[in-house]
Amino acid sequence: MLSYFLVSPYLVHLLLFISFPVIFSVVLTFHKWNIISEMQFVGVDNYIRIFHDRLFWKALLNTVTFLLIHIPLQILIALLLAYFLDQKIFLKGFFRATFFMPVVISGVVVTMVWQQLYGLDSGLINKLLVGIGLGKVPWLTDKNVAMISIAIMATWKNVGLYVILFLVGLQSVPRRYYEAADVEGANQWQKFRFITLPAINPTIFMVTILSTIGGFNLFIEPYIMTGGGPLNSTLSAMLYIYKHAFEYYHMGYSATLGIFFAFIIMMVVVVQKYTIEKDD
Amino acid sequence: MRYCRLFFILLAVWTLFSCGRDKGDSALEYWSSNNIGEITFSQQIVDQWNLSQDGLELKYQPIPEGQSSEEIILAAVVGKTTPDIYSNMWQGSVEFYAKSNVLVPLDTLDGFMEFIRDRCDSLTIREITSSDGHIYQVPWKINPFMTIYNRDYMDGLELDSLPQTYSSYLNAAEKFKKDLSGDGYVDQWFGNTSVKLVWYQRLFNFYTLYIAASDGLPLIKDNRAYFNNEYAIEVFRFLQEIYKQNYFSKEQQAAGQDPFLGGRIATKFTGPWEIEYLERYKPEEFNYDFYPVIVPDDHEGPIYTYCDPKSVVIFSTSSDPQQAFEFIKTMVDEAGDLLFIQMTKQLPRRQGLDTLNAYTSFFDENPRLRVFAEQAKYVRGIENCEVITEVFDVITQEYEACVLYNMKEPEEAIADAEKAVNVILGSNK
Repeated sequence: MLSYFLVSPYLVHLLLFISFPVIFSVVLTFHKWNIISEMQFVGVDNYIRIFHDRLFWKALLNTVTFLLIHIPLQILIALLLAYFLDQKIFLKGFFRATFFMPVVISGVVVTMVWQQLYGLDSGLINKLLVGIGLGKVPWLTDKNVAMISIAIMATWKNVGLYVILFLVGLQSVPRRYYEAADVEGANQWQKFRFITLPAINPTIFMVTILSTIGGFNLFIEPYIMTGGGPLNSTLSAMLYIYKHAFEYYHMGYSATLGIFFAFIIMMVVVVQKYTIEKDD
Repeated sequence: MRYCRLFFILLAVWTLFSCGRDKGDSALEYWSSNNIGEITFSQQIVDQWNLSQDGLELKYQPIPEGQSSEEIILAAVVGKTTPDIYSNMWQGSVEFYAKSNVLVPLDTLDGFMEFIRDRCDSLTIREITSSDGHIYQVPWKINPFMTIYNRDYMDGLELDSLPQTYSSYLNAAEKFKKDLSGDGYVDQWFGNTSVKLVWYQRLFNFYTLYIAASDGLPLIKDNRAYFNNEYAIEVFRFLQEIYKQNYFSKEQQAAGQDPFLGGRIATKFTGPWEIEYLERYKPEEFNYDFYPVIVPDDHEGPIYTYCDPKSVVIFSTSSDPQQAFEFIKTMVDEAGDLLFIQMTKQLPRRQGLDTLNAYTSFFDENPRLRVFAEQAKYVRGIENCEVITEVFDVITQEYEACVLYNMKEPEEAIADAEKAVNVILGSNK
């Protein structure tokens, strides 16, 4: 009896806030509903609609584009910073805290600050560029640049977390491997390539998975900074689902998009598991 | 053990289903917006009502906090915790709730038609009549859009008259735009309007100018797009030229100094709320004034504008809609409307605002608001359309492609918008 009692708060939470919404969402995918009227059964119409919805596939492509820029950038910068922090440097603790600070700041606040930085006419970055004789960059007003700008901002925001994860991974590599490599005459790059990288492969895999899942949730940045523009170039899948749910009140269709999108994420993670993860 | 388990399950279920509101059988509830002036006004008007009535007590509260009032009302509707009366509902939202039977058809209440004919002209009554022939809203307040301008800057351009037409505005803009810092980039523009790709921002640029150009034509008629006409095309062309020539900045205005107050722009499209804001923050020597929004060169007659109308509604959960309506009548009678203007500096949507004796002395003391009261004769709201948000989203997409990025000609953009809107309206039948 006591065990049931102790588990019950989490069980209630699981049922109310996870199981029920998921089951209800699946039910909703077969209905048309604007949240205040009666639900109307429409069969598989919502699923058929997805395949004709060009804007959804554009949003999905934008999200993938974001991931292709953001993930390598994040891994590279996080690994470099972690490698730098793993050395004997002055004020290591200060740098570690500084790199991690953006992670704990609200995403909305960070996005609004970067929106100012990226401002075409009054943004600080363009003012600096013009000041040194370069031209203004349309960070958020050019469809070929906007998603890159968002990826840079997202990397700055989240890299601190992965620096810590990589640092833990680097510090867990036995020192004797490096000592043995020194005896064999290996240089820094050879030690990094043949000892460090294979040893931290599980960390790289974990960082890639976490970045991918986080990246698929791209919403705050396009919602606040660009509204999905310019010309739908930063319209992410999550933002598109949000618009259908909370601007158009197409609850059935947005639930369908959400379920479909979750399935895609699951497939991507499974593929990553088999292609990236290697046996020790 | 089995009974203990059953007890805890029942306890959990009872806890869940006992959550709810009980406003009592002997009270009506009224929500206003959480604007300070409206809170003060509403509290006073409710207190007066309660003192004068022996019937149902009227309880008042400002709308609960949330990201937007629309969101809170939607949550209240879903949770069946709506008040009896709500003011500050955007006219464009009414049809969505009306179609879902959430609102009381006010024309079924005693005395309503006489009341509404006294308050509003026939065009306004037609505008607020829903597609099913009923009226679900009492037009309450408006904020007509006009063009504000910096008097010193405008005087400095030495124009023959205020730039009221498209070509005079563009000519003035060409004279005014400057690269003050000498870095090769314009940093003084003639005006600005939001470039944010959110549907409601089009109300304040495209739609306002469209109403002005077309003398108040609707966007939708008989459930079909009605805006594929010379007026919408000319508005797109005008705005496209503005951005092509860099007369307006393409930067999205975020946190930072107000560009109008800071002297970086000379004009913008705005409403009467700007007066209080400027009077509070402007420097001593800052001079400004208002004139109607810009119209095509060949425009004749009065200039209409968008008025961002808000209405009062009664929810179908109300225990006594007739009594709720009696309160609304008190709130928006001549004395109620005068108190409203005095406390909020917002205009009631009623006939004869600029001529009624009751308001003459108020406008004598507030000459800047008189300009808006005179404009209030020539205003339009928004269509009764359940999917108006999607319609404006479509227009926003074409606006971006044509006006901001010059990727389409105005004719093509408007035609594409018409096609997409007709698909949306067709699938919503």
